[in-house]
Amino acid sequence: MLPKRIYQFVIIYLAALGGLQAIKLVFALSDYVIPSPADLWQTAEAVFSRYLGDALNTLAVAIVGHLLAIVLATVVAIIGRLTNWAGALIKVAAYNLQAYPIVAVAPIIFILLGDGLASRLLIAAMICYFPLLLSFIGIFAEPVVDIEHFYTMTGRMRWQLEVKIRAFENNAKLITVTAGSATLAMVGTIVAEFFGANAGIGYSLRIALYQSDLAKVLVALFLIGIFTSLYLALLERIGVWLQHKLVLPTGGTL
Amino acid sequence: MRARIFAEFLLIALLASAALVGGCGPPEGDLGPLTYRLKWLFNVSVVGDLYAGAEGLFEAEGLQVTVKPGGPEKDAIKELELGHAQFGVASADQVIRALAKGSPVVVIAQIFQQNPLQWIYRPDRNRFETPADFRGKTLGVTFGGNDEAIMRALMATRGLSEQDATLFSVRYDYTPFLEGRVDLWPVYRNAQGVIIEDKLRRAGEAVAFFDPNAAGVRFVANSVITTRALLEQHPRTVQKFLKALLEGWRRAVDPAQAERVLAMIQLHDRDTALPLLRQQLDITRQMVRPTAETVIGRIDAAAWKQTEEIMLTQNLIPAAVNVASSLVSP
Repeated sequence: MLPKRIYQFVIIYLAALGGLQAIKLVFALSDYVIPSPADLWQTAEAVFSRYLGDALNTLAVAIVGHLLAIVLATVVAIIGRLTNWAGALIKVAAYNLQAYPIVAVAPIIFILLGDGLASRLLIAAMICYFPLLLSFIGIFAEPVVDIEHFYTMTGRMRWQLEVKIRAFENNAKLITVTAGSATLAMVGTIVAEFFGANAGIGYSLRIALYQSDLAKVLVALFLIGIFTSLYLALLERIGVWLQHKLVLPTGGTL
Repeated sequence: MRARIFAEFLLIALLASAALVGGCGPPEGDLGPLTYRLKWLFNVSVVGDLYAGAEGLFEAEGLQVTVKPGGPEKDAIKELELGHAQFGVASADQVIRALAKGSPVVVIAQIFQQNPLQWIYRPDRNRFETPADFRGKTLGVTFGGNDEAIMRALMATRGLSEQDATLFSVRYDYTPFLEGRVDLWPVYRNAQGVIIEDKLRRAGEAVAFFDPNAAGVRFVANSVITTRALLEQHPRTVQKFLKALLEGWRRAVDPAQAERVLAMIQLHDRDTALPLLRQQLDITRQMVRPTAETVIGRIDAAAWKQTEEIMLTQNLIPAAVNVASSLVSP
């Protein structure tokens, strides 16, 4: 799974580079607009190790932000699945907050929290949190009638059991949504770094854009792509393992 | 199937090449509508450009010019090369970086004779007379921006390195300076400088500005650019454009036209109060035409040379580009 994802990304990246070179050739553009392969190689040699550290830094923040968002979305979705006013309020709030573009909210976060780790974490978590929350609410609010009816009629239904049943019956959906939101966590971290932080690959991207240096941007994009692919592959692997554990329980009860 | 895909690709490439070649050789004066891409959003820093457009000075020269605002994501040099614009405004460091990468860009006018980039500070807390006063202070710079290059050049004049002062990463919001966490903060003296000064004065705080020019660092600001091909193939168009543009600037900085000019800026910059706009215009006037003898648009070759040297010293370009050969007064 892992090599396949990497190969796929490398093929897409090389195709995009090829497309850029074709445009450069056809329109006789200078290296300032589109870097030549030699320029790209020299730039990669010069910045690769530094950008590698930056990309790892970004990935670490994205993973922590993603985990925070998953935990928070799970808790809030469990409360939000209720049909009472609290559940309704959470749903409306989630929809409304998701509508705000992060570029409008980010400056407020940076003013309040500064340009350190906390702001990056919060923005990364925010970007993947709301899509996760809406999906989780949808999943946890949907009764699994066939199974739940039995426990309700026998008076054994508890909220913990209800959550477990719904999570078990929808585990494939939950895993897909969680893995899908990983890219959002990465995007959120990069956006945060781009706007206000002073570390990470997003910060390096911003400096490269200030210098109109597309070669640096392309090197950064390569690393972002590789690390996003790695993270997705890892999540998918965890998902397969979890599904295996849930479908083939080693013992005990649900 | 493969042969068909190859043939289609070849056809697209040929069509694109034909379009490109076709676009390169129309007769002089037959360029059609022109686009002039500015470096930044519409504000007082582009007042002459706006004036030339609003007062029909381009039309008077027989040109149809659309003045388009710039922004952080806009790059006039790239737009020139891609054919999206015929004229533009770029910072000197952008021009020199582009020349270092083989871009066929030429400078045809330099509007600001004095770079409006300065550093604001609180004189009651610090005194910044020379770069030697930077020692031990927290200095705001936009990493990757031209203010970083200017600040490093200033520090180098007194042999200061990064160990002697703290360089603070500057973003759009001024909170770190307003909170006093940073001693020097880069601003465009004629734009944000006026606004922050006003804000702090209202709060009872005094402010002052550190001007790199006064310390001998003359890093060129924004300039008007076009491509060498356009200049060589359509010299009269370039001359007409420049004539209209510089006339726009002459009138825009003429004190007798101030009220008319302010009314025009207000249409584009609705967020800045009129008294502040008036101050911004006064400062802009001094930077565009420092003396009555100053020829508007004059290219300061010595300052360009110094700018190139600074960039070379700081390894911002791999080798000298002989920028003087790309400074053209049509």
